[in-house]
Amino acid sequence: MRVALAGNPNCGKTTLFNALTGSSRYVGNWPGVTVEKIEGRLKSNKNIVITDLPGIYSLTPRSEDETVSRNFLLFEHPDLIINIVDASRLERNFYLTAQLAETGIPMIVAFNMTDIVRKNGDFIDTKELSHRIGAPIIEISALKEEGIPELLNAVETAAEIKPPRPPQYSASIEKAIQKIEASDISFPTAESRRGFAVKILERDREILQSLSVAPKTAAEAEKITAELERESGSDIGALLANERYGFISRILDGCYTKKEKKTTVSDKIDRIVTDRLLSIPIFASIMFLVYFISVTTVGAFLTDWTNDVFFGEWILPAAQSGLESLGTADWLVSLIVDGIIGGVGTVLGFLPQLFVLFLFLSFLEDCGYMARAAFIMHRFFKRFGLSGKSFIPLLISSGCGVPGIMATKTIENEKSRRLTIITTTFIPCGAKLPVIALIGGAVMGGAWWTAPAIYFIGIAAVAVSSIILKKTKPFEGAESPFVMELPDYHWPSPKGILLHVWERCRSFVIKAGTVIFIACAVIWFLSGFGFTEDGFEMTNIEESLLADAGNLIAPIFRPVGFGDWKAAAATVTGLVAKENIVGTLGVLLTKSEATESDVGLWQAVASLFPSKSAAFAFLVFNILCAPCFAAIGAVRRQMNSRTWTLFAVAWQTLLAYAVALMIFQFGNLADGEPFTAASGAAIAVLVGLLYALLRSPRWEEKFFRRRKK
Amino acid sequence: MPLVSVPKGRCLSIKKIDGNDEIKRFLNHLGFIEGAAVTVVSESAGNMILKIKESRVGIEKNLVKKIYV
Repeated sequence: MRVALAGNPNCGKTTLFNALTGSSRYVGNWPGVTVEKIEGRLKSNKNIVITDLPGIYSLTPRSEDETVSRNFLLFEHPDLIINIVDASRLERNFYLTAQLAETGIPMIVAFNMTDIVRKNGDFIDTKELSHRIGAPIIEISALKEEGIPELLNAVETAAEIKPPRPPQYSASIEKAIQKIEASDISFPTAESRRGFAVKILERDREILQSLSVAPKTAAEAEKITAELERESGSDIGALLANERYGFISRILDGCYTKKEKKTTVSDKIDRIVTDRLLSIPIFASIMFLVYFISVTTVGAFLTDWTNDVFFGEWILPAAQSGLESLGTADWLVSLIVDGIIGGVGTVLGFLPQLFVLFLFLSFLEDCGYMARAAFIMHRFFKRFGLSGKSFIPLLISSGCGVPGIMATKTIENEKSRRLTIITTTFIPCGAKLPVIALIGGAVMGGAWWTAPAIYFIGIAAVAVSSIILKKTKPFEGAESPFVMELPDYHWPSPKGILLHVWERCRSFVIKAGTVIFIACAVIWFLSGFGFTEDGFEMTNIEESLLADAGNLIAPIFRPVGFGDWKAAAATVTGLVAKENIVGTLGVLLTKSEATESDVGLWQAVASLFPSKSAAFAFLVFNILCAPCFAAIGAVRRQMNSRTWTLFAVAWQTLLAYAVALMIFQFGNLADGEPFTAASGAAIAVLVGLLYALLRSPRWEEKFFRRRKK
Repeated sequence: MPLVSVPKGRCLSIKKIDGNDEIKRFLNHLGFIEGAAVTVVSESAGNMILKIKESRVGIEKNLVKKIYV
């Protein structure tokens, strides 16, 4: 049996899905967390397949994720719908219920958040309601896993459930529906006839197309709709919405009493955090604190200890002497000590900082602030040609770019969606945090502003890219207006937060043990072997294969300050996973350390760069340039085009290079270095960027028009 | 009068929503229909947080302008 989970955004579908199937899909407190349909099997009965669908308000989709839900419900004929209803928003949630009732699919209505209803002192007569809508209603709390056995029981006996009664419209609409039902359209099933007829009446062009309705029949249907609109003096959308809400209030009459509440706690918080003057300072302070605390204070303290004491003084020497006393071959000692502990160990050493960062991000995602941040930033993003909706992917990307790129599915406008996909990885993700912490600690002297500055540079890069690209043909055009539901604030449960943090830390550690482990072993090999006069053999690091390769590409990076082959090689390995930048530096510098005097990793890192501005340029380049392969793969999937993927990667890398060039060259000039050709290039890049930012988009239009003539 | 000029905290009933496009339909689905009660929770540079049918919706200025109460 196939069961679909359908409901409004942020009503707890995925929480219920997790409870029913025992999975741990990501949940959060903003509309649009789930953007794909996910299948799972019922814990208690593996024959029942449950599909979690992205949230929808109606069967008229506006974005890609909503289309997925609509198509599943209308065209894939699930045997049963579990309609999850946020019982504290009964009227609005029933709007979808009324439409689901028209699909002719048997339905169970699950009243979620009934604990909030009780707390508010509201009253719902579920028994009478169930009778009126013609579908069983089961009260649950998905979060507290209450009412789940009753729901399971109902699902198991679903064969007895009949499709619910569809809403009755006024006589003129009913007549119009009947006319469409009687036309020569071939409906997929007899039960879904009414539902499709209503969609056609609503002028749903996609439905007309997918049912391959003949043009003549479509024209007749259009006549029916137009006639109805003329009679009522209102457009069909408003007409049906009015009727449905009218139907809902009739159904709820006497079954639902709500205690009047003037202002809720959420309203009070919103008045402050979305205030015209306070909103931006509040947002900036939150993000500043998140990065400042996780990188500079608490996190740094823990990471320093792990790197210097735990790995540096305990594990590394112990492993070295232990292995040597066992008579282990020199190369194996080197592989384990330099390669594995030096590389993977250095990466793992940043886990405490990530833990603190993930703690903050999970709190922000759970408490309900995300949607507010989108609302607040809309003011600014509108000026860049984007909508506040694009800000949600950016916020998610501060954890990881891959789900950030996926989250762009909720953006209705295709051009804005592309623009957001291209720019969302500018925001430093968890994997880039170790790079920030390493450079910040080793070169910037642990300056408190490094990590927050990188975050805001990321946002600035999004803004600059959007402004420049929006002035070009493929991106120009109006953005869809911003409308977003803002959930209630709530205190996240410690269990939920820790679960999120655990999931993220776990995947970081797994990545360190697999991808990073292999990459470090490869780097160790490449940096330990090379062609010498005696042929291919183990050699010192400066004659290794990696040094040869690194020296080949290093000249590219010389103008931006990291012409040392080690930094160049680290940057390239960052494509596999950004943690590798730290891992590779760890391997290479642990190795060279062994031959030189013991200076510690941080001094070794500092010695790679001629100046502070060079190190900062290295850092900024690595934050902005092409993301890791996993993220590039996500870009490819979302763009669904090789050309666009290539464009995204090229744009990111070129912009990163331009910014790094300016940082290093202007830094040099400020340090009193002589003016060189590269300084000239940096000035040219600055002028070019300013022109691209400030130019009028009309110029291009005129140019093309003239050419046409 | 246009909703834009309604101060925070006021609860009024919707008279009319201009336009006939996809976004107006979306507003209809969310409960913005003639006769529905709407409360202004917060306002920031013309963008508003409105309370409609028990839920809170953030709406940009250009759309707020189309709603009359």
